[in-house]
Parts: sequence; C-alpha cells; structure tokens
Amino acid sequence: MTAIDASHAMAAEPSRAPKVPGRRSILRTLLYGRDVDRAAKTKARLGLAILIFALGYAVIAARLVMFVAVPDGHSGRRAITQDAVATARPDILDRNGEILATDVRAPSLFAEPNRIIDVDEATELLTAVIPDLDAPEVRERIGSKRRFVWLKRDITPNQRTEIYRLGLPGIGFLPENKRVYPNGAEVSHLIGHVNIDNQGIAGIEKWLDRSGLADLHMAGLATDRLQEPIQLAVDLRVQHALREELFKARDKFKAKAAAGLIVAVRTGEIVSMVSVPDYDPNNPREALDPNRINRLTTGVYEMGSTFKALTMAMALDSGKVNLNSTFDARGPMHFGKFEIHDSHPENRFLTLSEIFTYSSNIGAARVALSMGVQQHQAFLKKLGQLDRLRTELPESAEPLLPKHWGELNTITIAFGHGLSVAPLQAVMGICALMNGGYLIPPTFLRRSEDQAKAIARRVVKPETSDKMRYLMRLNAEKGTARQADVPGYYVGGKTGTSEKVVGGRYSKDRVLNSFTAVLPADDPRYLVLIMLDEPQALPETHGFRTSGWNAVPTGAAVISRVAPLLGLQPRFDLPPADQLILASSTPSR
Amino acid sequence: MMRLLNICVIVALVVAAAYVYRIKFESTRKAEQAARLRLDIRREHDAIAALRAEWSKLDNPLRIQELARRHLSLRQIDSRQFDQLDHLPERPPDLVPPDSPDPIVNLLERRDPPTGSIALPGKAR
Repeated sequence: MTAIDASHAMAAEPSRAPKVPGRRSILRTLLYGRDVDRAAKTKARLGLAILIFALGYAVIAARLVMFVAVPDGHSGRRAITQDAVATARPDILDRNGEILATDVRAPSLFAEPNRIIDVDEATELLTAVIPDLDAPEVRERIGSKRRFVWLKRDITPNQRTEIYRLGLPGIGFLPENKRVYPNGAEVSHLIGHVNIDNQGIAGIEKWLDRSGLADLHMAGLATDRLQEPIQLAVDLRVQHALREELFKARDKFKAKAAAGLIVAVRTGEIVSMVSVPDYDPNNPREALDPNRINRLTTGVYEMGSTFKALTMAMALDSGKVNLNSTFDARGPMHFGKFEIHDSHPENRFLTLSEIFTYSSNIGAARVALSMGVQQHQAFLKKLGQLDRLRTELPESAEPLLPKHWGELNTITIAFGHGLSVAPLQAVMGICALMNGGYLIPPTFLRRSEDQAKAIARRVVKPETSDKMRYLMRLNAEKGTARQADVPGYYVGGKTGTSEKVVGGRYSKDRVLNSFTAVLPADDPRYLVLIMLDEPQALPETHGFRTSGWNAVPTGAAVISRVAPLLGLQPRFDLPPADQLILASSTPSR
Repeated sequence: MMRLLNICVIVALVVAAAYVYRIKFESTRKAEQAARLRLDIRREHDAIAALRAEWSKLDNPLRIQELARRHLSLRQIDSRQFDQLDHLPERPPDLVPPDSPDPIVNLLERRDPPTGSIALPGKAR
C-alpha cells in the first residue's frame, strides 16, 4: 500500500513541479539530479523493489521446501553414530531354540580430549570409579590431540551412573552391542568367539562373518538386532551330557584330553561336539592355550583299529571276499625288517568277521594286501580320508599321508597306523559305511534327510553297509565293545587303541584310545565317537590301558544318558545280530 | 463484483494457511511420537535381549543339574524305565458312575462291586 501511495504521489509531482519556487527546486536538483525524467526513474525503482521482495519470498519458500523434503536431519545423524561402533550379530540357537550366543547392549566409555578442561582431575576421578583403568594410560589418552578416544569398553550400568554423576565435560558413553555366550564353555569350540569389535574370529562366528555378515557391516546395514537367528544342528542338552561324561572320564583315567562327537548318521548333522579342555568364549584369551585346541577338527591322529572298519568295508565291497573268507593269522607277519603282532594272538586262520571282533592287526593287513595298494588308496580317497575335510568351521587340518605309499604303508594303514586324519573325517567315513553307503559331508547347520540325499554320494553297496553294521553289532555282543552294550539301544561299536609316536617311535605307554559306536545297529540313527588322549591304567582296569577299558565304558555312560534325549526308543529282547541284520539284508551275489 | 471475489480469495487464503499450519503441526507431533515409539521399541528389544540372555544363563543345563543334585533326590533315568503307550494296561472301570449323587449309597446298592484290578474291561457294570 505504501508503494502505491508513493507512486501516486510521484505521478502527481511532475504537474506540480513548474510551480515550485526556486529554493525548493535547488533541493530537488540536489536530491534527484538536474535533467532527469523523474517518471522513468520512479518506474525503474519500483521494479527493483518488486524484484527484491520477490527474491526474498522465493528464498523463504525454497527453504520451507527443503525443511519438508529432508526430515529430521539431526536426530537421524545421532542414531547412526550410536550404532556404528560395534555392529549387531544374529543370535545363534541350538536345534531346540536355546540361545547359544546373543547380543546385549553395554555402555562404553569414551572421551573427547579437546573438550576436557583438567586432565589430571578427570584421570583421578575416572580411575576412582573404575579401578582396573590404568591411570598413566588414561592420562596419556585424554591428553592426546585426537578428537575421540576409547577409555573402556563394556562398563557396567553402575559404573555408568557413577561416572555420569561426576559431571566431567568431554566424557561420554556409547551403547555398544556386546556378544554374550550364556552357556559359557559348553559349546566353545563349536561357536567360537568374537573380538572386541564384535567380529567373529573363530568357529561358527567366523563362518557367519565370511558368509556375508562382514559385507553387511561394511555397508552399515547390519546395525539393528532384527536379523534372522541362525539355528545350528547342535543340541545343548546332549552337548552338556557328553561334556560332563568326558570330564568325568578325563579325571578318572587321568587323560591329557578327551573328545566326543555325536553325528546324525542319515543327515550328517553334528548334534554334539566336545573337546576338553575347552575354553569360555566370554573370555577368549583362554583359547590361545595350545592344549585347548579342538582335537576333532584341528588335530590329526592315527585312528588305530577304528580304521579296520574301512579295511573290512573295502574287502566286502569288492565282492572278492565274504564274511567267512579266511586269512592266515597263525603267527606274526613279517614284511622286510618289520614284524606285525596281534595284541590278542589267536594263532590260526581267522574269518573276516573274526578279524574284526578280535581286532587282528595281522588279519587286517592281509585283507588289505589281498586287495592291492592301488585299490586301498582309491577306496580311502573315495571315502574322503585323504583330503582336507572342510566344514563350516574355519579351523581344519590336512590329513598326514605317507610320502610314498607302498605295500608297507597299506599294511599299517589297514589297522590304522601311518595315516593321520582328523577324527571328524574318520567319523564321516564310518557314517557312510553305516547309513547304507552314502558319504555325506558333516555339517553344523540344520539339514533335513532330503537335503542330505541331494548332496550324498554313494561309496559302498547297501549290502556292504548291512554287513558292516552286523560286524559292529557283533563287536558289542562278543568283541571288545561288550561293555558298551547299553540295554535297549542295540549298540554296535569298534574300539581303537593307537600308540602315539614319541621321538619317532611308537610308544607303549602313551596311547590314543577311541571308541566308535552306532546306535541302533539295525537301523542306525546316531554315531558316537569317544576319544581319550593318553589315559592311564588303573587298578579297576586291571592295569590295562586299551580302549575297551576306558573309552568303551565312557561311551556306554554317554549313550545311556544321551539316547533318551535324542528321542531313541529303547527296545528289548531283540534277536542277535546274525538274525536281525544279516538275515534281513539283501543277499549279495 | 471484484470486491466480492477479492474477499473470497482472501478468506480462502486464510483458511488454507490455517489448514496447512494445522497439518504441519500435526505431522510434527506424529513424527515426534513415531521417533519416541521407535526409541521405546529399541529399548524394549534391548531389554528383551538382555532378559533372554539372562534366562538362558539361568537355564544352562550345568546350573540346572547342580540345583537338581542339591535339592532333588532324582537319579539318572534307566533305559528300562521307558515303555510304549500301547503297553499300558486298560484303565480300570469306575466303581461308581461319575455323575451319581451319593457314591457310597450307590456302592452299597451294588451286589457285586467290581474291583479295578481284577475286573475285565467291558465286563464291568
């Protein structure tokens, strides 16, 4: 309105101008200049004013649009910085949904050195609240030129409130995700652990990172806890029972270490895996002790007589021999300057099934020799015993093969010496002999039978598998595994006692004992492996330290505890193996 | 005419401005509410996670076993203690019909009350 009035006034002025007396005309000349068309000038000024106002309003409008289009710039930024530090990981559950690993929020203490007023005072107050802070280190960190320093990760809520009350400027907290393992050492080797930045550095945790989680973290996407949990094949209750029995056995027989493995025969799922001594993943420093390694995947061992199962399966699968073929075991076997003995010599011709139940080294060697070195090697290769076994666990060990595989190697490998494999690998091979002849790579994740069938590879004939189950059962009825015949579960098993190599020689009193059991032998569901490292002879074991006196009773204790948990129905009054397994088997040609 | 139109436009302008202001105000309020709820959800999630971790710590088989050993006189189960459901004997018939008003009178009136352990199923009553 004022602009319009002004223009009216200005438009009216020229007509009045000539009447103006001289004094005022001088003033006008000073104000507007001498010969100027005032009307044109007014118009231009008006235009300029309109333009400036229009620009002003345009800026305001644009600003408004910007505020609406980019919402909550500040709060968004704050949320990101809160999460960026230790990223979230998915929960790990066992097969029944029990939590094995989860994230909780824990505050971490940081400082912004440029905002701290009195370094000494701050150091003193902080170390008073958190006694395990190192005062000189804190002073150095706070006094540094950096803009951000960590003081302590994972403080308790109490410490947090106390520090908050101190009211120190430049000291703050960030909530971080912290990995906790509520079950402590029970599943240590299996799930592994994480470092301070929540990155997996061992076990399944590392596998999680390698299978995509790390990339998500890099992209800043895996920041919330709404990630799908990972379910493993392991059963926490079974794991606990196995672990406790192994601890008992280790103490009783004063063994250096003990290990146990339970695998579902038809799917290859690892239901339980324990290697003691183990460690608490909440305190990963313990994992560095070399005595606490996972003996089942990262150690390689000569499996001893357990390997005879593979030798027998090779002979039976070739079709050249049957269970009643006889082999010469009349006396020690000589090969070059070596002599091979039996621990319980029979000194006569033995049938194939007798070789297995008496665990005759001589017999097994002769069986393997009759098949030939080439075929022996090819069979072990087919069963995956000569290559590194890879599972989800990042830790794995290469089997130790003889450099030049000659007849002598075949002889010794026939009864499990001269070839070192990871125990998990041997279990995979024996599973294939039990489940109808399918080699299924073991897994720590859930797997259905159909999924297992899709990746399974046939390695032996079904009737070979029947005969092997018969032999295993026979061993529990008459052989070395009698003590493991837990009533109701129709257990079959094979013992193994291998002498350890000490200083380049086989030692007589340092042995590695193993026991492999299959249950039930007529329709196998689970395979159990028990290993004892250097068990000692006891008065109760009559001075024996062979597997039948320590690993087998341990296996029996484990089976009787674990079988109900695994949902196995006890059955009684079953006929002996030759009627139940052999008679129902399809007759071989 | 022109004046009327002007007045209309001015009124419309004022109404529109008021309406837009209200929407803006409402949306700000809603956004704040949403942010607060999101924060609450996050807190709840964190609390649930912490509680679940604590629960599974308490649920740890080692701890349960220790408690059972201390407070219960239970022993490890034997495989002979399991049996199948169809091996169970038939349930003994009721001595009295379940809806009888006075069970004792009912029993007395019967000449030959069947005893559960001897009576054959089907023959009773």
